[in-house]
Amino acid sequence: MTPVLHLANLSVDLPGSGFLSRLRLPVLCDVSLSVARGESVALVGESGSGKTTLARAVMGLQPTSGGTIAFEGEAVGDRHGLARLRRAASMMFQDATASLSPRLTVGYLVTEPLRIHGQPLPDPDRLARDLLATVGLPPAMAHRYPHELSGGQARRVGVARALALRPRLVIADEPTAGLDVSVQAEVLNLMADLRADIGLAYLIITHNLALVRHVADRVVVLYLGRVVEEGPTKQVFARPAHPYTASLIAAEPKPDPRRRRADLAIRGEVPSILRRPQGCEFHTRCPIVQDICRHAAPALTATGPGRQARCHFAANQNQQGEHHAMEH
Amino acid sequence: MTPAQPVPAQPVPALSVEHLSVGYAAPGGTVQALRDVSLAVAKGEVLGIMGESGCGKSTLAAAMMNLLPAAARVTAGAVRLNGTDLLRLPRAQMRALRGRAVAMVFQDPMTAFNPVLTVGRQLHDFTGAAPAAIAAMLSRVGIPDPDRALARYPHELSGGMRQRVAIAAALLMQPQVLIADEPTTALDVTMEAQIIHLLRDLRATFDGAIVIVTHHLGVIAELCDRVAVMYAGEVVEVGPVDAIFHDARHPYTRALLACDPAVVDPSSGRLPAIGGRIPDLAHLPPGCAFAPRCAVALPECQTPVPRHSPTPDRTVLCHRGAA
Repeated sequence: MTPVLHLANLSVDLPGSGFLSRLRLPVLCDVSLSVARGESVALVGESGSGKTTLARAVMGLQPTSGGTIAFEGEAVGDRHGLARLRRAASMMFQDATASLSPRLTVGYLVTEPLRIHGQPLPDPDRLARDLLATVGLPPAMAHRYPHELSGGQARRVGVARALALRPRLVIADEPTAGLDVSVQAEVLNLMADLRADIGLAYLIITHNLALVRHVADRVVVLYLGRVVEEGPTKQVFARPAHPYTASLIAAEPKPDPRRRRADLAIRGEVPSILRRPQGCEFHTRCPIVQDICRHAAPALTATGPGRQARCHFAANQNQQGEHHAMEH
Repeated sequence: MTPAQPVPAQPVPALSVEHLSVGYAAPGGTVQALRDVSLAVAKGEVLGIMGESGCGKSTLAAAMMNLLPAAARVTAGAVRLNGTDLLRLPRAQMRALRGRAVAMVFQDPMTAFNPVLTVGRQLHDFTGAAPAAIAAMLSRVGIPDPDRALARYPHELSGGMRQRVAIAAALLMQPQVLIADEPTTALDVTMEAQIIHLLRDLRATFDGAIVIVTHHLGVIAELCDRVAVMYAGEVVEVGPVDAIFHDARHPYTRALLACDPAVVDPSSGRLPAIGGRIPDLAHLPPGCAFAPRCAVALPECQTPVPRHSPTPDRTVLCHRGAA
């Protein structure tokens, strides 16, 4: 079946600033990924990994320097294709409150996408009520202004707005950032319900691994703008093939004082894109680095059905993991 | 005759908050941000203050430094450092203590630094420490090449590095109490892990008390010895970290732990949520503030709540008591 979204070898360069302005800095390099109908794919990485740039590139908010974006099988190249994409795919922004215009009521805000796209709006009040009901907000909320909303409510309004055009794909940038644990659960449940009810597909951009485990069928891990691992979420979490993925999983603080980590999973920080390491770009922080990693860049290679990793030792790691699993 | 059992020495509280109530004047009435909060943190101990937004944890952290905003009014209680009530200290004396006796690390250290001065200059101005001592402290908090870092401006450092510098600045003052307000919230997971590691590591050499204020349950579990759980301006449960995470007694603590995505089995489908929302702090319900959202509320929850002590090191603010 044709995927809802298909990115092939997508690259984005940004101009450097100041005396570097003649340089083009590669922010995304050769990223390929697909989101099937009703599928939920998580894009994971630290700040500077290029995940938000990717979302912006898909929505046409960021010029690309190479590769293609196809929506439901058709290339999104020209204005026409972009307009079609923006009608059928919508974005949930990271800062929910800031993405809502402070002078407009919630009722106007949730129906605004139809106005922007010039679609018929015979009964805006009724549509607003329906959209608010879909995201579990009372109809009275339609008369409120964004500053009167709590973080969770603003996030719900963001979801309602994203749903107004009945999209087939929602790109959610850190959908639970800044929300309390109890509210996070509500937003995630809402997203899961919408997927089950209307077959919505999601591309979720996040660095929150707990969120990924709950909502994503597949996970794509980015490091310095390159895909370093991809695979079904369950498998990747059970047996990460790339040492970076393994470090991310190990670095997550566990809410259990009996499982405190004794030592540090990962040292150092993401290098600057101005100083990309030679060879494997992760070698400066890699716990299993070997000589070859310092000069030869590994390719993204298949490590199993539906799984890929960019590591010279990915296959070994995977076997080790299986070995481990069998012992238990 | 049996020899007298050695009595375990009662830890000396470095800082204690006693029956503290703080309100903010607002158009709709007084918002009661803190109500009758009592807590103590001892030398060498790491106390976690955990709760969701609006629970009063940041107000409490500010009160511990006597840094409450002008609109806040202390209606009762005290914050004592070695017996001295900080809240009643003359301004000049408080200023002398702040940073020296009680130091704070904020969520985003960018806002705590002056953007137009180098890190080295600021650390020297703040602390009066010699450049060599500053460099030694920077390397202590894991900054590679401290001399280079000292010559940099705050914006040239990454978020993780700024947080390390902020921690170094606080520690250079050798405070008796270090308060960290959401110290890892603005950081990536790998940097968060490193800051947790650093704070844990510091305990070997820092003999003051550490207070960690956060909404992140994982950070509390990784770092703290004792935990105070706050809800709607009150401390609803206090106890050793293991007891809080494995034998929580307050229904709110239990509900909060249950809905953390990090603990819920992903194959279970839906995540548990706490229905409803926190009460309006200007118009609190009579009795227990959590009762309207509590799954196990009783009729008596409409009446003032007693504080129980299921064990000497724990307290629970709930009608169900030690249940």
